[in-house]
Amino acid sequence: MELIMAKIDLSNISHTYNPSDPNPTYALNPFSMTWENGKRYAILGPSGCGKTTMLNIVSGLVKPSKGKILFDENDVTNLITEERNIAQVFQFPVIYNTMTVYDNLAFPLKCRDFSKEKIEERVKSVSDTLRLSSFLNLPARKLTADQKQLISLGRGLVREDVAGVLMDEPLTVIDPDLKFRLRRNLKEINEQYKTTLVYVTHDQNEAMTFADNIIVMDQGEIVQVGLPKDLFERPKTTFVGYFIGSPAMNIFESEVSSDYSVKINNIEIKTNSNLSKIKDKNVKLGIRSEFINVAEKEGQNTIKALLTRVEDFGNFKLLTANMGDFVIKSKVNREMPISHGDINLYIPPEKCCVYINEKLI
Amino acid sequence: MHKLYTFLKYTFITLWTVFIVAPFLWAISTSFKDFQSVNSKVTYIPWLDFEPTLEGWRVLVKSPARGGVDIVEPYFNSIFVTCTASLISIILGTLAAYALSRFTFKAGFVRNNDITFFFISQRIMPPIVLSIPFFIFLSTIGLLDSLLGLVVVYIVLLMPIAVWIMVDFFNRVPKELDETALIDGCNPYQAFYKVVLPNSIPGLIVAGMFCIIFGWIDFFFAFILTFTEVQLLPVKVVALNSSITPWWSLSASALISVAPLIIVAFVVERYLSKGNLSGALK
Repeated sequence: MELIMAKIDLSNISHTYNPSDPNPTYALNPFSMTWENGKRYAILGPSGCGKTTMLNIVSGLVKPSKGKILFDENDVTNLITEERNIAQVFQFPVIYNTMTVYDNLAFPLKCRDFSKEKIEERVKSVSDTLRLSSFLNLPARKLTADQKQLISLGRGLVREDVAGVLMDEPLTVIDPDLKFRLRRNLKEINEQYKTTLVYVTHDQNEAMTFADNIIVMDQGEIVQVGLPKDLFERPKTTFVGYFIGSPAMNIFESEVSSDYSVKINNIEIKTNSNLSKIKDKNVKLGIRSEFINVAEKEGQNTIKALLTRVEDFGNFKLLTANMGDFVIKSKVNREMPISHGDINLYIPPEKCCVYINEKLI
Repeated sequence: MHKLYTFLKYTFITLWTVFIVAPFLWAISTSFKDFQSVNSKVTYIPWLDFEPTLEGWRVLVKSPARGGVDIVEPYFNSIFVTCTASLISIILGTLAAYALSRFTFKAGFVRNNDITFFFISQRIMPPIVLSIPFFIFLSTIGLLDSLLGLVVVYIVLLMPIAVWIMVDFFNRVPKELDETALIDGCNPYQAFYKVVLPNSIPGLIVAGMFCIIFGWIDFFFAFILTFTEVQLLPVKVVALNSSITPWWSLSASALISVAPLIIVAFVVERYLSKGNLSGALK
């Protein structure tokens, strides 16, 4: 079987929904990005940050105000959706009510004049994967919401030759157990057929478990692109720190005190970042609650704080401690004995992230 | 409590049925009466109260020898004009409605909603306002007193209904449906007729039903824009009346005038009871 692969290039793309306005508000600020063939990408961000706009630009439902889209170096910016080889699955099930499940799944192939045998083979394969085989002859409108979403998904996967399958929060309506299995199926499909998958979600766990690369967006801006590990350990902005991870990253107002250290509440914290060239002394120190440990006694990089709450999550304990106006959260092993009152918390320098104007240095 | 509710419900339904059906029964009975049976004492049941006669029906098909009028030709004229105008209105109206629902139009200060309102406003206006313009228009293009002229006028009257119902219907068909069809490889026209249109059959049926009803019952324009060459059913039925009101033939003509609408109602009812129209009607 010949695989048609495509690298998707987004070059200087920006988009506004009110181009005639003298001061248009941008749904997407200018950005460039390349989606390598055969990889899995997750676009993560809060509602209204431009995720869906970005997908619609790639699939051609929306024409970008500026910039170019290239599939394997071919400019497709002016091609209409039908002429681009893209599959897209929406958040809520879209099915062809008047057709059977089989015809729904076969529709994308019928539109492209595939042979009957080929259509049958593909529909069978996809319906097996999605466990829809026993419903093939039913009218699609008779199925439940999550089965309908499987049909939508199936229509995206039935074409082998697509440049990419774009999914806009496709598993929202599907129950957790099936969700888990489908994510694995999608991964398998991606590994087997090397189809580029782009997956929009606001659920970080979904993004982390699914994707090779995560694209974090906020207010029409791409804030960070990277591996799940990078996003977690070195968030490029405080927003990513807040948005990724649970609980959110600890972020403290602090000031630079020497070349490698900052002061929080007059306590000196050593970091691994070189701060010698910083003019503005007001910075923010970010540290994941996972990296803050309870220390036996005071020492370097420890802070003394009053323990106010201990929450047992089963697999870990979440400590909340106060130091003046600062609230510090620390995730510790659930077996660890916790004393009441003041505790010492150790902040490892190599895990500290220093932010100026919300950006990492 | 429950029994009382059931009792009241059935009582109401029975009364309502009597209210609806009684005039029909009365008309059926009257259509078989003659002058004597109508004008002497009140009679109800054929053979028992009066001797039934087909005279009332016969005058409708025979030439006007005995005070009757031939309504066969007007009947088919009406069917032709109503069906042609409805069909064209539905086709044009659906296309217009789809465009108004899916694309954004701008012309000066005019937007989609203004265009939709323009269509609806054609029905807000009292019809008499249009009578003189239509008369002059048809006489200018030489279509006065012709079937084609009536079709043109009825399209003007019926298309707003089709546009109005279908815009509302398409607005409730999710845009993602069209977009999915585009992604699946349809061009915009295929997306419309392969995907959106089959999903809109309930809306089309409702729009069609309204067009047929309003086309079929129109008397005003048929009366003003036709004279001798072409006549439509409502005008001809009125012409039945004379110094002695022929209740029997009026009843008979009323019944056959209503017949096509009853057939339409039965066809549509099948869709209604399936629940397919629930969204289309609200």
